[in-house]
Amino acid sequence: MSVRETHSIFFRSLVDRGYELTFKSADDSSLSLAKYGEFLFDNLVLFAPSVEEFGGTLSVDAITSFIDGGGDVLIGVDSTVGDTMREIAMECGVEIDEEGTAVIDHLNYDVNDEGKHTKIVADVANLIDAPTIVGASTKQVPILYQGVGMVADSDNPLILEVLTASSTAYSFDPDEAVKEYPHAVGKSTLLIAAIQARNNARVAFVGSLDFFSNDYFSSAVQSMQDGKKFDKSGNQELATALSKWVFKEKGVLRVGEVKHHRVGEKTPPSAYTIMEDVIYTIVIETLEGDSWVSYKADDIQLEFVRIDPFVRTFLSLKGGKYESVFKIPDVYGVFQFKVDYNRVGFTHLFKTTQVSVRPLEHTQYERFIPSAYPYYASAFSMMLGVLLLSFVFLHLREDMKEKPE
Amino acid sequence: MGVHKNQSWFFRMTHEKQDTLVKMLILSMAAVLSFSTRLFSVLRFESVIHEFDPYFNYRTTKYLAEEGFYNFHNWFDDRAWYPLGRIIGGTIYPGLMITSTVIYHMLNFLHITIDIRNVCVFLAPFFSSLTTIVTYLLTKELLNDGAGLVAAAMIAIVPGYISRSVAGSYDNEGIAIFCMLLTYYFWIKAVKTGSLFWSTLCSLAYFYMVSSWGGYVFLINLIPLHVLVLMFTGRFSHRVYVAYSALYCLGTILSMQISFVGFQPVQSSEHMAALGVFGLVQLHAFVNFVRSKMTTEHFNVLFRTLTMITGVVFAALAAVLAASGKIAPWTGRFYSLLDPSYAKNNIPIIASVSEHQPTTWSSFYFDLQMLVFLFPAGLYFCFNKLTDSNIFIIIYGVTSIYFAGVMVRLMLVLAPVMCILSGIAVSSTLDTYMKNLDVVQKGKTSKKKTDSSYTFKNEVAWAVVMLMTFFMMTYTFHCTWVTSEAYSSPSIVLAARSGDGGRIIFDDFREAYFWLRHNTPEDAKVMSWWDYGYQITAMANRTILVDNNTWNNTHISRVGQAMASTEDKAYEIMRELDVDYVLVLFGGLTGYSSDDINKFLWMVRIGGSTDKGAHIKEQDYYTPNGEFRVDREGSPAMLNCLMYKMCYYRFGSVYTEQGKPTGYDRVRNVEIGNKDFELDVLEEAYTSEHWLVRIYKVKDLDNRGN
Repeated sequence: MSVRETHSIFFRSLVDRGYELTFKSADDSSLSLAKYGEFLFDNLVLFAPSVEEFGGTLSVDAITSFIDGGGDVLIGVDSTVGDTMREIAMECGVEIDEEGTAVIDHLNYDVNDEGKHTKIVADVANLIDAPTIVGASTKQVPILYQGVGMVADSDNPLILEVLTASSTAYSFDPDEAVKEYPHAVGKSTLLIAAIQARNNARVAFVGSLDFFSNDYFSSAVQSMQDGKKFDKSGNQELATALSKWVFKEKGVLRVGEVKHHRVGEKTPPSAYTIMEDVIYTIVIETLEGDSWVSYKADDIQLEFVRIDPFVRTFLSLKGGKYESVFKIPDVYGVFQFKVDYNRVGFTHLFKTTQVSVRPLEHTQYERFIPSAYPYYASAFSMMLGVLLLSFVFLHLREDMKEKPE
Repeated sequence: MGVHKNQSWFFRMTHEKQDTLVKMLILSMAAVLSFSTRLFSVLRFESVIHEFDPYFNYRTTKYLAEEGFYNFHNWFDDRAWYPLGRIIGGTIYPGLMITSTVIYHMLNFLHITIDIRNVCVFLAPFFSSLTTIVTYLLTKELLNDGAGLVAAAMIAIVPGYISRSVAGSYDNEGIAIFCMLLTYYFWIKAVKTGSLFWSTLCSLAYFYMVSSWGGYVFLINLIPLHVLVLMFTGRFSHRVYVAYSALYCLGTILSMQISFVGFQPVQSSEHMAALGVFGLVQLHAFVNFVRSKMTTEHFNVLFRTLTMITGVVFAALAAVLAASGKIAPWTGRFYSLLDPSYAKNNIPIIASVSEHQPTTWSSFYFDLQMLVFLFPAGLYFCFNKLTDSNIFIIIYGVTSIYFAGVMVRLMLVLAPVMCILSGIAVSSTLDTYMKNLDVVQKGKTSKKKTDSSYTFKNEVAWAVVMLMTFFMMTYTFHCTWVTSEAYSSPSIVLAARSGDGGRIIFDDFREAYFWLRHNTPEDAKVMSWWDYGYQITAMANRTILVDNNTWNNTHISRVGQAMASTEDKAYEIMRELDVDYVLVLFGGLTGYSSDDINKFLWMVRIGGSTDKGAHIKEQDYYTPNGEFRVDREGSPAMLNCLMYKMCYYRFGSVYTEQGKPTGYDRVRNVEIGNKDFELDVLEEAYTSEHWLVRIYKVKDLDNRGN
């Protein structure tokens, strides 16, 4: 049976959500993602774990450049994972364990396990705390999983550990004795990893292809450890939520119009002057269905930065726009209005606007400061004194002449 | 017949008229000569602004001509010193820009349409013509017309002055020397006449000087010194009193109008001498007045008490002011004047500038030639006939020769006084011996002919005159040669001789700057060492981090740290400063020796001189033997720093000289040590034709994490 049939529920859910699916086998010689420099697809689902070499023009490079070009990729692998898949994962900072290995958990396995303890029951507590990725209020139903483990590259700040194994799990070849230290142990074993690239392309790696299968979607779950039985696994909900996130149906933000100007004006000046009051407004929208609607949050911050932030303030929503009014500090230079909103599960919003802040012009200083009055007084009294002196001097000349006489 | 007629026309005039005509002819010839000898670079290359600072001056002048004075005065430049910005109006001496803008507007008013750039290019030669005339006037006041003419002719071609005033060298010094000599001329006039008119003119000239060059500090210390010496030598008079009092009051008030100078004249220590002498002059005049009204005994008692009291009061006042910081501590540049090793030990940014280095003996001869030997003779003649004004020129000569020895740049201040004193020397010598010449003229039988106490009088006179002529001729040849060979290179366009003797022009700088201008975003930030800052803003019109106005040591140090660090460390700094492009100068391919690798040790020193750069140690960039090398022996820190990588990227696979391996650096004459490397955080954006300028683009963070 092909994957297309064993995973038909998952594919059907995609079609129901309005996607047009094109199925191709991995060795199809007509495989290609781009034509004439344009991508043919928006999203890519790779359920071909064991592939060694793609047909057509598809390759690791083609897939990474698809990601760098903004395309989203959902990848499902299992214990038959080949080097090509591992390479793609490596490119994204995820390390998949070697072929033949599986995540083994001798405590949290399903009752229907075949004895190797690889059909594990993943606890929902190990899901990432991000409703946009794993779905809102996920029902407390464990998830069935059978496949390889993954490890995140600790230097890569973009990796999201969507689902980790429980602390009793490890990743090793189930048919061999554990002689060396396993590749991944406990919570550092990733079952589902995702990455949101800096261009906001989203890629998810699921270590178990069966995770998406009709079989797992509908089967009952009963962990050996606590014996609680659920009629239906949480796989379908999670798969749907995950695919919604990966294919950018959820958690997509964008910046609309950005405006800044002095208080009481409409247009931005060529340069601000220090100590001026300035208004900054930014429109932030999120995608809901097919339409962009105003995004609501109370934790969006604005920074006014010149190497270091000089002002950091919350933006408040007013009439569909986020707005902030603040006083420019008494420092001149080239500043940036910076909105850097980075939340797990959402598009990374980053918007900077560069403005110059100039010092006061020679006409803008205060003219009559009280501390200067003594100097004014002294200057004028001096003038008066000189005037009087010259009068006296001129008039005493006559007397001077008389004296010697 | 024609000749005869001309002669008769000439000799028909009275003796005075002949005299005036000859003087005018000589003087105007000297003025024209001084203009034309500075045109080598224009004729050889083109009418182009030279070097670094002139580009800034040109840019500001253009701004002033286009935007008007008030906008210029309030100009806040956000293109330089990103992200700090620079208040241009308040941090420059505007005299130069205003002068050329006034000339520009005047010419345009007369419908002589001329480009502002050409005004800038030819301003310095024009002002040196004026300097020639002022030198004549000044020397005339000191001795006589003859000396004035000789001095004028000498200053017209003296290399020490030409080095700063060739066409295209549009810098403050170009007009400042004129202002300085003009001030001196008016000062001598004022001292001689004691009239308020001359000392007012003197303070106006001083104002012009202040507005155009920071070197005015020399002037405001020299004049008080003159007054002080006059007081000590008992030559103090009402004339000096009037001259100095008026000059100090007016000059100080006027100089405070320049916003860059501000309150310095009453606060900083450099100006305190002038203030002190001003007070002393008042006291001296007062004491003289009191003395004339009292008996000697009474006066002595009074004098002693008064001196004691004032001494104590002044000392206390000075201590209080110094402690409260009202009297600013001496700036580094000033310290380095007094102690040449000061800057080297303490302020790397000052020591790094080549023109702040102590002068070598050879450059005295190179820049002044005969004048070096005529100078003492001139001093002798001045001492011979000591007057108030001669004392001034002696002081000027002696102090400036010291300063010129401390700093190469101040050769410029020395050159005029050398010319004046040499003019006096030559003129006096010729005066003495010309009389002894036995020229066959109308009066064939002169009495002197038979002077038994002085044998071979005529022959000796001839010998001396011929010798002087010979000296003057070698001087002329030397000056012309130096001007043409050493001082007429625009340094923005380089020239070299190729193997077959032809001339190769390296126009890489402009090529690269124009590439930046046309191929990078408008608001791109370019990081480079500060030397090229002014040129990048003026020619490429891009934002730069640091420039030749080295006002913020920390910021320059930050750039130095980036250059001296490894790639990933440098990347952090470049991200912090929003750098988009990095520009380096590399001479390894052409053999251009003042490139960034040769300046690199200064970047290390300056980079390591602040807190943030404390991890950068000069020692790490030397080999264990203490050498600075880029070959295999070079230290690992050196071979892996950003500067090395940017300069030598891809250089390892280039053949530069026959019979040498690839990657052979023609400046350092070594094969480079680290040939095969890739850049991680930068990508090569542009390399000019002869690899003189290399521009790199700073990569963004990797899309998928690392």
